[in-house]
Amino acid sequence: MADRYFNPFQAIDINVPVVFHEAFTRYCQRSADAVIDQSPFPRMVDLWFLSVCVATRMELEPADIAKYDTRKIIDGSIFGSDPWRVHTMMLIAIGRTGDVQIVSEPRKMMALANGLAVAGLPKVIEMLQEGDAEPIWNLSDAVDTLLRKEKAV
Amino acid sequence: MKLLRAEFHNFRLLRDLELEFSSDPVRKLTVVRAANESGKTTILHGLQWALYGDAALPGKGEGFRLHPIDWEASESKRVPITATVEFELTTYRRTSGTMRETRRRYRIVRSAFEDVDSQVRRSGSTVKLFALNDSGASPIDAPEALINDELPPELREVFFTDGDRALSFIEADVALSTKRERVQRAIRSLLGLGVIDDAIKHVYKSASEVNKKAKQVGSGSELNKIASRLEAMEDTREKLDADLEDAKQQFGAFDEKVEELDRKIEAALQKGDKEKLRKDLDHAKREIKQLDDQLAAANKEHSALFRGRSIATDLLAPVLGRAFEKLEELHEQGKIPNTTIPVLQDRLATEICICGETLKAGDLGGDKRRAHIQKLIDDSQRADEIQEIITDLYYSAKPLQGERDDGSSAWLEEYRKVVERRDGIQALRDEAGRKFRALELQLDSLPDTDIQGLRETRRQYKDQRNRYLSNQSALETQLTGLRREREEREAERDRLLREQKKGARILAELEVTQDVMKVLQTAYKRITNEELQKVSELMNSIFLEMIGADPEQGAIIRRAEISQEFDIIVYGPNDRTLNPDRDLNGASRRALTLAFILALTKVSEVEAPNVIDTPLGMTSGFVKRSILRTAVRESAQLILFLTHDEIAGCEEIIDEAAGVVFTLTNPAHYPRMLVNDPGIRGKVLRCACDHRGECPLCMRHADAQVELEAAS
Repeated sequence: MADRYFNPFQAIDINVPVVFHEAFTRYCQRSADAVIDQSPFPRMVDLWFLSVCVATRMELEPADIAKYDTRKIIDGSIFGSDPWRVHTMMLIAIGRTGDVQIVSEPRKMMALANGLAVAGLPKVIEMLQEGDAEPIWNLSDAVDTLLRKEKAV
Repeated sequence: MKLLRAEFHNFRLLRDLELEFSSDPVRKLTVVRAANESGKTTILHGLQWALYGDAALPGKGEGFRLHPIDWEASESKRVPITATVEFELTTYRRTSGTMRETRRRYRIVRSAFEDVDSQVRRSGSTVKLFALNDSGASPIDAPEALINDELPPELREVFFTDGDRALSFIEADVALSTKRERVQRAIRSLLGLGVIDDAIKHVYKSASEVNKKAKQVGSGSELNKIASRLEAMEDTREKLDADLEDAKQQFGAFDEKVEELDRKIEAALQKGDKEKLRKDLDHAKREIKQLDDQLAAANKEHSALFRGRSIATDLLAPVLGRAFEKLEELHEQGKIPNTTIPVLQDRLATEICICGETLKAGDLGGDKRRAHIQKLIDDSQRADEIQEIITDLYYSAKPLQGERDDGSSAWLEEYRKVVERRDGIQALRDEAGRKFRALELQLDSLPDTDIQGLRETRRQYKDQRNRYLSNQSALETQLTGLRREREEREAERDRLLREQKKGARILAELEVTQDVMKVLQTAYKRITNEELQKVSELMNSIFLEMIGADPEQGAIIRRAEISQEFDIIVYGPNDRTLNPDRDLNGASRRALTLAFILALTKVSEVEAPNVIDTPLGMTSGFVKRSILRTAVRESAQLILFLTHDEIAGCEEIIDEAAGVVFTLTNPAHYPRMLVNDPGIRGKVLRCACDHRGECPLCMRHADAQVELEAAS
């Protein structure tokens, strides 16, 4: 059913503020022999999506992208390979707005997700950098803490 | 190109030998049957020397003797060495709408002299090429150019393959970058990307020329300074590029030397009665390799934690919960139709209800039930677009909800397992490293001077190798910095040009060069990637066909591919990467490299021979036959040097596919392996016996008998 909605973000590019491009270059694996401990994310979309999740978890307000000088880093077609991410982004949109009608507006959903990503990126970068170990361990520990803290609450 | 004939004089064991090869398009296989040490590898070297000169010899011919080792100085102190190869080239020409095929025959002759006093000294070789026709032979200038066009030297190892050496594309002993460089070089040569490379260099030069014009426009000004700086940067870039290429090649060369010394040290330990130490070292090295692979896999698992579903569902649990509540509300209100339409439609088609009652049209009860079901279908189908999306979301996102309902954090559990695995393997790796260092100390304390000498040389080579690697990193960093600075300066120059009256035209010229450069670079990348994909797919299908009959490997190998980074990777179940050294048996390793070589030759669409020495070693049974059958099918001309053991079991395939079969015999094998004394020593002899035949010259003792005698 509804095959044409399989990836509603197919034709939407993801533009991210230029100030974060270095972080994408540094923390995402750009070749097969990348040092995983230093660059924990297999692809750029993984860093972007984790930022969406962290911002959502921390209940941050979406950033105003218009304030930034942005460049495209990811093509929306990438979600075709991870359909669960499409569903997750739709659910985030419904959960954040309380409006189910939003599912028919892919651009609105993407704008919300990207706003969250930009709000979450500084947090994720902080998680990668804060600690005495390599970025992958710093990040793992920070996610561990985030999940446990919220559970305890 | 097809090889037709070869002739060798005083080329090592080949004092006087002539060979013919099958050029028949149907029976395209030539089999040279020869036991070990009967000149198979020497012929492979001889053919390549004839075509490419000293560069094709081991160690680029340095210190590599060519004349027969038992050459009597009394015969002559100066040994004439000659290798001749005759080949056929087919060209195609379009005339009045039809393709015209022309075949021409050529002969290439290479000769050199070696002095046989105290040291081997070889004169530079002379090469001549002749076009052959009915009336004789006409000399052709610049023979190298024709050979380079038809059989590019970079692809030499693809056309002339030593079955064992071919494994160098996948073996784990050399550095990853070296393997990658080999595969990359082979693929790029295959595509003839040298033409685009030259074009890029040409455009760089043109851009420099235009930059000079910019310099003149703004004489003495800021523009002049920037243009001068760009000019200097271009010179630096050229130099850095050349240095980087050199560093890469030197790294590869030293890497191979280290590997060769490892083999020599191993052999010396065997000879020197240090078998236990050799075994321990070998075991320790293998263990380290295995643990390093496991560590790499565990690191990947760790990284995968940040792209999987668990981290998202755990972090998003609160917001997903709210969204699911909304969807659940809609579902309860009946606004989400059930996904039963296909089921109901199926029931109508089969005319039996889910409850077992009939749905036959014309039947009173059946008609009533049909109408009810049809109404259900129609109601469901009336759902509007949003309902459709929500319905899809409601059902498709169930797994995300399931994970949330589980209560515990799936990600934390996965993370705990990854930490345990990484820490566990790391501890084993540290221990294995300590063991290996202890064994190395033991090795250092051995009084054996040969071994210590080899180890010292190895250390020096390894230092050199590491120096080139470090140099490579430094050069790459400098080039990145230079590229960035150049982009900034170019932008500044273009801005200043816009302000000048005469600048517009120069700017337009610069834009053209930049556009052409972009087109060329994109084309280069695209061709490489597309062709890489073709080679990868063909290699995979040939490989799987070759090993298809092997139940042991068939169960663990799913596919093979060449990655974008030019790594040859084999996958097992669940896309787990397999280590060719550890997880593949000898037959599969050989099949993989042969599949790569055949795929490369085929994708290149170059009609070229594949000359392969001992391709079926370490293979047996169905797999051996499958490798041979596939190789015959995929190659334009296949010349195989096979031992008697390799032939065993494949006779029928050879009966069918071979146009030429003959046997080579080394008289030195009498009396241990040969039944009759050939009455001559020091040179390889040829007889017309095929893969099934035997004559007084080539008749051998049965293997069992030879082994028995050797044991006693």
